Amino acid sequence: MTNSEFPNDESPMQRAICSFVIRISAFVILAPAAAFGHGAEFLSAKLTLLPDAEVLLEVTADYGGNPLIADELVAREALIDPIRLRLDENLVPLAGLSAASITQHDNWAEFAPASYLPSDTEAQPHTLITAAWRWRSEEPEIVFEMPKGKLHDVLLWTRDQTNSEAPPKWMLLLAGDRSKAIAVHWPPWWQRWQTVMASSVFVLVLGYFVSRNFTLRQRTL
Amino acid sequence: MNHRILSLLSVMALAGSAAAEVAYEFVPNFITPPPGKETIGNGHGEIAVDSAGNIYVSVQEADAGIQVYGKDGKFIKALSLPPSLHGFVIRKDNGGEFIFAAVLGEQKVIKCDLEGKVLMTIPTSEFPADKIGKGLKLTNCDVAPNGDIYVVDGYGQSHIFVFSREGKFKAVFGGPGEPLKLANAHKIFIDRRFEPSRVMICDRGHKRMLHTHLDGTFISEIATEMRNPSSASFHGDLMCVAEIAGNVSVWDKDNKRIADLGTSPKPTNTPGIEPKDWQQGVVTSPHGITFDNDGNILETEWNKWGRVLKWNVKK
Repeated sequence: MTNSEFPNDESPMQRAICSFVIRISAFVILAPAAAFGHGAEFLSAKLTLLPDAEVLLEVTADYGGNPLIADELVAREALIDPIRLRLDENLVPLAGLSAASITQHDNWAEFAPASYLPSDTEAQPHTLITAAWRWRSEEPEIVFEMPKGKLHDVLLWTRDQTNSEAPPKWMLLLAGDRSKAIAVHWPPWWQRWQTVMASSVFVLVLGYFVSRNFTLRQRTL
Repeated sequence: MNHRILSLLSVMALAGSAAAEVAYEFVPNFITPPPGKETIGNGHGEIAVDSAGNIYVSVQEADAGIQVYGKDGKFIKALSLPPSLHGFVIRKDNGGEFIFAAVLGEQKVIKCDLEGKVLMTIPTSEFPADKIGKGLKLTNCDVAPNGDIYVVDGYGQSHIFVFSREGKFKAVFGGPGEPLKLANAHKIFIDRRFEPSRVMICDRGHKRMLHTHLDGTFISEIATEMRNPSSASFHGDLMCVAEIAGNVSVWDKDNKRIADLGTSPKPTNTPGIEPKDWQQGVVTSPHGITFDNDGNILETEWNKWGRVLKWNVKK
């Protein structure tokens, strides 16, 4: 490099641009090295209990900070069958309950409880994929279970919808672990029997009219 | 003759039961943090003890990556080292006693004296380019009896690299493929309880520990279905293990679990548990561990505020 290539009589604007480029280059080179924080070594499963026994489970994988998830492909594989629902003696894959809807985003705060947010990675761009399943429970309580041999731990957590100040409840499930029984918003008996009762009334009324018309027709004959 | 055999068997049985009955008691509030601090500071590292009994704990503090405490847990000084010493050991080698550390944030390994003076660096450029992937994420290292330095890319591809005492690359094994199929091989240690020594791998992703020969050939699994083994230390025939999902375990040379300490009632794996929620004698997320020279156990946690727990061996 000679003085003729970079003359000393640069204008302030040139120097400013040069300085800016050097700083940006330094940031680009050093940023990955500085990103040494500990990512989330689990899949985060946010459970929302909706009215009428509906259940929404949103499972998130981070392929930017989880050493067990190298890239998007691995993240998507991890979300195919992350946890199962125990029904009697059977473990039902989530895919058997509903189709998953998949979204990509970088919003960890919405998908992990505060005490579990990845540490020292605030400056890192998180690359998250969330798969969501929504179904209506046929039981008043649900239990999740991690089949043995699963590579990815699952942090199952839920927030009390009636008290936003209350800290979220969470449990970390390792392979072979089973969650506590979680009560869904089971509708009261009269709501559950509403359809049956309405149908019964309809059948009775229909029967009444049919029998009445049949009788009248017989009389006219 | 028969009496002699019986006596010998009795002694062996007693020795066996003594090993099996090893017990520990928790030491409350052992560590005294540096002056002016409530806790030791952001912990995501390791703990080790030198031959004089001083305790070294790595914290994520700029220019003070290791804190040194006396045997009594009182703060002595901080060493001017990088803030991301995720894993380190203190080993005697070639007549001296040194700290060997994996610097996670700088993709390198350093060897320094016990005052923190860096004597040697193994830079990124010394690692084979085809194994670096998207960048090294070095999590620990240890030293074999012949001086070779073993380094693991635990947050990367879980490859284990071997360097000469002078820091020259020699070999690589492990990784995600056959035969070891490692996943988040968080830390490795040279297990000198065996002759010849072995490599002990905390294969955290698979919740197991395994042994290989020094050349990387598989020997056996030590244990499976653990609470995510993160670090280990050896004393006599014993090995203690920090399991990040909430347990400290002690194992004998036959791979038998002989004690569990501080077990968290429910699995955990987070740095976010605040001091107000800590419970005496119950771990949160164990990340580093060591025996001291008397066989007591010291454990440091993955915790934003920093935490060290101690259990004394019952004599």
